[in-house]
Amino acid sequence: MKYESQGIAKLYFIAAIALFVGQILFGVTMGLQYVMGDFLFPEIPFNVARMVHTNLLIVWLLFGFMGSAYFLVPEEAERELYSPMLAKVMFWVFLTAGVLTILGYLLVPYARLAEITMNDLLPTMGREFLEQPTITKIGIVIVALAFIFNIGMTILSGRKTVINVVLLTGLVGLAVFFLFSFYNPDNLVLDKYFWWFVVHLWVEGVWELIMASLLAYVLIKVTGVDREVIEKWLYIIIAMALISGLVGTGHHFFWIGTPDYWQWLGSIFSALEPIPFFMMTLFAFNVVNKRRRDHPNKAAVLWALGTAVMAFLGAGVWGFLHTLAPVNFYTHGTQITAAHGHMAFYGAYVMVVLTMISYSMPLMRGQKAANVNAQKHEIRSFWIMTISMVFITLLLTGAGIMQVYLQRYAADPLPFMVVQDRLAHFYWAREVAGITFLYGLFLYIYSFFAKGEEVADVE
Amino acid sequence: MRETFTKGMARNIYYGGAVFFFLVLIGLTVDTVKRLPATDNRENLTEQVAAGKRLWEVNNCIGCHTLLGEGAYFAPELGNVYTRFGESTEAIKAFIKYRPVEGIEGRRSMPQFNLTDEELEELAQFLKYVDGIKTARDWPPNIQG
Amino acid sequence: MKTDELQLKRAEISTLLSLLNLTALPVIGFVALLFIYKKTEANTIDRYYVMLGITTNLIAAIALVLVTGLMILLGGFDSPWTWVYVISYFVFVHAMFILFATWTMVRSWTGKKLTKSFLSK
Repeated sequence: MKYESQGIAKLYFIAAIALFVGQILFGVTMGLQYVMGDFLFPEIPFNVARMVHTNLLIVWLLFGFMGSAYFLVPEEAERELYSPMLAKVMFWVFLTAGVLTILGYLLVPYARLAEITMNDLLPTMGREFLEQPTITKIGIVIVALAFIFNIGMTILSGRKTVINVVLLTGLVGLAVFFLFSFYNPDNLVLDKYFWWFVVHLWVEGVWELIMASLLAYVLIKVTGVDREVIEKWLYIIIAMALISGLVGTGHHFFWIGTPDYWQWLGSIFSALEPIPFFMMTLFAFNVVNKRRRDHPNKAAVLWALGTAVMAFLGAGVWGFLHTLAPVNFYTHGTQITAAHGHMAFYGAYVMVVLTMISYSMPLMRGQKAANVNAQKHEIRSFWIMTISMVFITLLLTGAGIMQVYLQRYAADPLPFMVVQDRLAHFYWAREVAGITFLYGLFLYIYSFFAKGEEVADVE
Repeated sequence: MRETFTKGMARNIYYGGAVFFFLVLIGLTVDTVKRLPATDNRENLTEQVAAGKRLWEVNNCIGCHTLLGEGAYFAPELGNVYTRFGESTEAIKAFIKYRPVEGIEGRRSMPQFNLTDEELEELAQFLKYVDGIKTARDWPPNIQG
Repeated sequence: MKTDELQLKRAEISTLLSLLNLTALPVIGFVALLFIYKKTEANTIDRYYVMLGITTNLIAAIALVLVTGLMILLGGFDSPWTWVYVISYFVFVHAMFILFATWTMVRSWTGKKLTKSFLSK
């Protein structure tokens, strides 16, 4: 760690991991509700558990991105953070807002929460992933602006590298596209159309910029490969991400009352969306193969490679699986979407944040890398979580195929709930995989406390 | 990558590609918004429907159901529920109204939202309006959603 | 083992063709691999990679085409279970072959053979 202010990232990462645990606990709860419908009913109905699950994911990933930026930017810009104080204040503001919102979901009925937070003044609540009360949304915007100001001032008055400029572009995009969450017309088609300007342009647009730049940064650090080479890859990856992903938004405009030409545009452009993810795999494999040093932090190298591979599988392959309009006609809104969503979020965004944490946490704790024993546990947790997620995805895919067949494809289609009963064994197996994931997560947390022999420096 | 392909070229593809396709997306968005009146059933978008949409939102219906395929996959698709329930808003209202407070043992159940008769009507009218949106290939594939 | 520019070039093309045969250009990529094979000599890096590409794709053909074909034959075209297994299996195994071919391609760029340990030099 070269600059003192990089240490602020630690705060953000600890919060991120804590919220990650909450997210998975609620995930496991929902998994059980899929097969035991009355579990925790009516205290925590499924919709509340799901809202907590997805919102915690978004919030902890944002903590992860912010922490990553606070660690990365001073080093890349070669100066201390513009205002460490602002970063600390915003941390507590964001954490308080996040925790209060989650408590609001859990403690009062959602309609009551809407009333308390005066949703009627500017109704934005109750849309998937954007369930936060309007006042929380405003809070998110304020935190994001303060954060971008802080990071931006650091970069503008410091060294500008491709990595920190791309990261900044991604973060600005994140804030700008979030503004569409305040637009909620009564016309459902318009509402849905612009809702995707937040959701799609985040996860299949600007977040890819953030992800690619974080990955590039860690790969420079752990492989010692020439920055010029890595930056060239970074540019071409994000170029492909935006070239395919912007018009690729059209794969969400197949069945919501939008014009028919989206069937073609959405299919063609989103069929290209695996390319940037494939290139990330190629990039990571290539620079690790050409590495000039063996970094003592083996866990971080593994996370980086894992991110590239799992993002390709989850976002690339599983996205492509159902992105063509004739296929999507049958799979839209089934467990296939859930399968893709789980592996894509884990592979791309969860793993890239864990990669950054894995690389930076030891440095912030005054070590080159975590001790041998800690790394052993971290690597084991990597495999447990990743393999569990592969199983969750495969099982949901199986459930989805069965669902499509029985409910949509068969000559005599069955009602939704009848089909759900027939999928119970898939859901039970998924729940087992989910609990295994949770175990992997606890092992991951334990790895930060595991004592052991210091790593030998093999530089 | 080969030396002939420089970082400058990669950068230009990035900036050029991003700007170009962003403009394409904006252009298509303008065109889409212009064409929507033909399909989005706005002629039936009454104040009652708008109030129904608000109820749909503040009760977080999307947390379990899909609506035109988007949402959670825990409960049935509602984009065509009006058709599925025999084009009867009364049937929709009755279903919502008589959900047991304590749920159904061992099974998934919709919570009891304690809506007034007026609210039930608004919500049902909203679902009827959604059913009237002309989706491509008349999605969902069949009545089961 | 002697290696020269041309052999390295052929090795790189072989791994690319192997990947293409698995993705965008099935069969065509394989035929091209066979043509390259004819140009190579024993105990060279290009022979090594062209053979690796041929074997990988033969195994992939068996694992993907033959096995899924058998699954459909044995499971029956009209059973949803057939499709549950066929689609999940095909997508996952296919992706594994693509990842393997990608790694071999990256290795061929440095002119080295594959090693047992993924991360060793």
